[in-house]
Amino acid sequence: MRGNKKMIASMTSWFFVLPAILVVVLLMLYPVTSSIFYSFTNKNLIKADFRMIGLDNYKAILSDKSFWTAFVTNLKWTAISLAGQLFVGFTAALALNRIKRGSGIYRTLLIIPWAFPSIVLAFSWKWILNGVSGFLPNILVKLGICETAPQFLSSAELAFPTLVFLNIWFGAPLMMVNILSALQTVPQDQYESAQLDGASGIQSFCHITFPHIRMVVGLLVVLRTIWVFNSFDIIYLITGGGPGNKTMTVPIYAYDTGWGMRMLGKSSAVTVLLLLFLLLVCSLYFRLLNRWEKESTS
Amino acid sequence: MKKGKLLRRARPGTIISYVYLTVLSLVAVFPLLWILLSSVKPKGELTQNPTAILPSSVTWENFKTVFQQLNFGTNVRNSVIIAGSTTLIAIIIASLGAYGVVRFFPRFGKFMTRILITTYMFPPILLAVPYAIIMGRIGLMNNRAGLVIVYLSITVPYALWLLVGFVHTVPLEIEEAARVDGANKIQVFYKVVLPIMAPGIVAVAIYTFINVWNEFLYSLIMMNSTEKMTIAVALKSLTGQEVLDWGVMMAASTVVVLPSVIFFMLIQKKIAGGLAQGAVKS
Amino acid sequence: MKRKLSLLLMTALLATTLAACTSSSGGDASTTPAETSNAASEEKTQEADEAPADTGTTQEAEVAETEADELEGEITFWHSFTQGPRMENIQAAAEAFMTDHPKVKINIETYSWGDFYTKWTTGLASGNVPDMSTARAGEVVEMINADAILPLDDLIDSIGRARFYESPIQEMTYSDGNCYAVPIYSHAFVMWYRKDLLEKYNLEVPKTWDEFNEAATAITQGENGEVYGCSVPMGTNDLYATCFLDTYVGSNRESLITQDRKPNLTSPTALEGIQYWVDMYKNNSPADSINFNTLDQATLYYQGKNAFDFNSGFHISGVEANTPELLDYIDCAPVPTINGDGNPDYIVNNMPMVVWKNSAHPEICKAFIEYFYEPDNYIPFLHSVPVGMMPALKEITNDPAFLNNDTIKKYQNAMETISDALSHGTYIAMEYGPCVEAGILANQRVIENMFQDIVLNGTPVEEAAQAAEEQLLELFSAAE
Repeated sequence: MRGNKKMIASMTSWFFVLPAILVVVLLMLYPVTSSIFYSFTNKNLIKADFRMIGLDNYKAILSDKSFWTAFVTNLKWTAISLAGQLFVGFTAALALNRIKRGSGIYRTLLIIPWAFPSIVLAFSWKWILNGVSGFLPNILVKLGICETAPQFLSSAELAFPTLVFLNIWFGAPLMMVNILSALQTVPQDQYESAQLDGASGIQSFCHITFPHIRMVVGLLVVLRTIWVFNSFDIIYLITGGGPGNKTMTVPIYAYDTGWGMRMLGKSSAVTVLLLLFLLLVCSLYFRLLNRWEKESTS
Repeated sequence: MKKGKLLRRARPGTIISYVYLTVLSLVAVFPLLWILLSSVKPKGELTQNPTAILPSSVTWENFKTVFQQLNFGTNVRNSVIIAGSTTLIAIIIASLGAYGVVRFFPRFGKFMTRILITTYMFPPILLAVPYAIIMGRIGLMNNRAGLVIVYLSITVPYALWLLVGFVHTVPLEIEEAARVDGANKIQVFYKVVLPIMAPGIVAVAIYTFINVWNEFLYSLIMMNSTEKMTIAVALKSLTGQEVLDWGVMMAASTVVVLPSVIFFMLIQKKIAGGLAQGAVKS
Repeated sequence: MKRKLSLLLMTALLATTLAACTSSSGGDASTTPAETSNAASEEKTQEADEAPADTGTTQEAEVAETEADELEGEITFWHSFTQGPRMENIQAAAEAFMTDHPKVKINIETYSWGDFYTKWTTGLASGNVPDMSTARAGEVVEMINADAILPLDDLIDSIGRARFYESPIQEMTYSDGNCYAVPIYSHAFVMWYRKDLLEKYNLEVPKTWDEFNEAATAITQGENGEVYGCSVPMGTNDLYATCFLDTYVGSNRESLITQDRKPNLTSPTALEGIQYWVDMYKNNSPADSINFNTLDQATLYYQGKNAFDFNSGFHISGVEANTPELLDYIDCAPVPTINGDGNPDYIVNNMPMVVWKNSAHPEICKAFIEYFYEPDNYIPFLHSVPVGMMPALKEITNDPAFLNNDTIKKYQNAMETISDALSHGTYIAMEYGPCVEAGILANQRVIENMFQDIVLNGTPVEEAAQAAEEQLLELFSAAE
């Protein structure tokens, strides 16, 4: 009788987690294992026959100069975009938290970029920045700020910074919204007592605000690191990695290898390497987050 | 007295805040404004006079093309159906899972969330071809349900992982009280836990919806029929036309982005609550 | 640890059983109808081999047809004619065909070339390709190599081999002797210019590349940014830099590929050509053109912002759609040559239509293609982009119904220039017959990357060409 009840109880427990386990296992197991498997083969995208070639793909990639260039670009892309998103998001949240009137309006306007699907983002900015008939290059010339129309997306110097700017433009609202709501959970009385103790604005930021919101920030950074590192759409749709590979990141490199050159095996190896790297970075992040968590609970 | 002091101290900072926010808002809003303005400008004006801000006259020609010739309405509907059902299913699976993992399998839970965050790390490109192969094999290519299934795989882990934080916010005592009153696990979940988690669930649902709504690569690969395509792919196909018509592209962009913007404005308070609470209290 | 392991095992076990369930049940559901129709069609294909000849061509044949000969089934047709009138024409032909054959359903989907490419390659991996489709000339050999498409000699013979121009058929005939595609139209890359601008600056239509450079420079300088002399597109999402280079090299009747199918970017003419276009880019092209694809490049001409361009007769309808007031001032001429002998080889594109091996109903595809070539369908189709699409069938070229079109009449000179070009050239790097190498050379963007490298990084032309050649060589050998 008791055993029966226990079994029912444990069955209901399973009822909760089983669907999630199924989705993860069923939907991820095959694609992931097959990708890992293909990374050891010379599989061509459009041909059926292939054979095992051991670590050849990995060797070829790791000795390919353009892979490393793409990797470095990817690191820069992730680091600068994230720093920018965090900075803009943070400062905007602090400003929004400060003002009393009109904060609702500002907040509404500021989250607009987040509502842009990447394809619309690509279209609209490509049109605004178009070197021949785009608004921005032409207005800069007209106002006498630039002598000739700046080539935001096609010059070697500007293409990458422009893309990073667009990524910040797109990603900052998410940071802002979450940091703002974390800021609002900081108990006001702590500030007031700190003020009575004569603490400066910076001091109270360091000792009250930041410890309070760092978990949110930490979590956001982890999530966005993964997202930005893997991001494909924005770069693919705007520059496709060009000009002169200046905006080539690893996901674009993988796409070019897999689809452009049809070397599915090699492109699988690229993405496996990408995954390994992300795992490494995230385990470091998590170590930090765990420490913070322990600090705040103790 | 205290209040007065606060106000006086805040003044320069407040002014800077307003200036800063105004500048940021201009940058944030400009592309939307530019899409709207470009979409109603008459043909030729777009390229002849790139710096003119206001249209010389307003035309709806571009929108006519978008809805009549390109039949964008269908694509919008597809996106709504696909993103909506993915979100619904993902949220159900994820909230059940998050609760179950935290309450019934706490040790396995840690391990499981690790796995989940790892799956979130898989570059979507890595999975595109295998998904295409497996969906082809079970006959779900070019099928909205097939695309929803694929999207579940990219949304469930992420949603579950976020929701785990929210489950931690549910006080155990309330659940125990309900258990004492004779409710079983499912009833406890449904009547007690769910309402407490609601804000988090809404926030996560919105993230999920947005991610799916914007997704491009899988949708391109999996859908063959124009009448089943999502809006992102239908938009992309405009660039492949033999005549590049910025006016039509801007009108189509408006059709896509305007509902999203309005949706965002309506729900912005809900998103705001979202992630932070879960993270703070986990 | 033990517990973790057992849990993992359990989930894995569950996963496999469930996977087995779904795949078998899903498989059953989806294969049953397909299998039956497959079996039915197999029976029919034998008869269908001779069936297309009499389906739809004559009324009597249709009446005489027995039940068993009647076409039945559903086919999917992907094409890349995303432009309005062409798309509508094909749709109309399909609908008329379906009226004649009530048991046939033709589903038409259109994709831009880039998306089509992603779709068919991934589709081949997942078994998800159409029954019939258009293709880019450079891709057909790859499709053959991947064992994805069917030989169409029976269809060609049934339509009448002699009715086709010889060179497109030759270009689509693979080394195994089979012809795997039918040309639905042809076009060639000629030099487009602006009569009004030449007049304004007192210039003749250039006959040599030096004259061309002088003319482009004169216009660029004279117009001061309003109009560019000659935009040079180098975007890595398209093959236009390759087209420009091939046009230059072809003007000297040379090829970007050697007879033994090695890349040939370091020949004196090729190096000269690379240098020529790099200089042209620097002097007479908008800086943005480094990212240009076909459409960006063509749009510049359509809008009257580019004085010279190399493209097909599609330019007329493009200008008509964008800036109709320029229609009186555009014309084309033969491509310049190095020494002005006026005897260049052109890039000729014979648009292939292919039938996929996966198709359950190749007989319907073939019958539809044959139906499509009937003058009542074919001429309106060609007229949807007049001058842009030249007939693949000889008799249509002189058919009064075809010639009776305002645009064709207005652009007599363009018609003659392009017709002449069609008989002097091949698709990019297909001078020695169709081969995978040609497709790789045209589609892998190595040449575009080379140009960008020279322009952006200042790499010396010879060094960049050498590197590109090596990269191509590697890709060639990887494709074998």
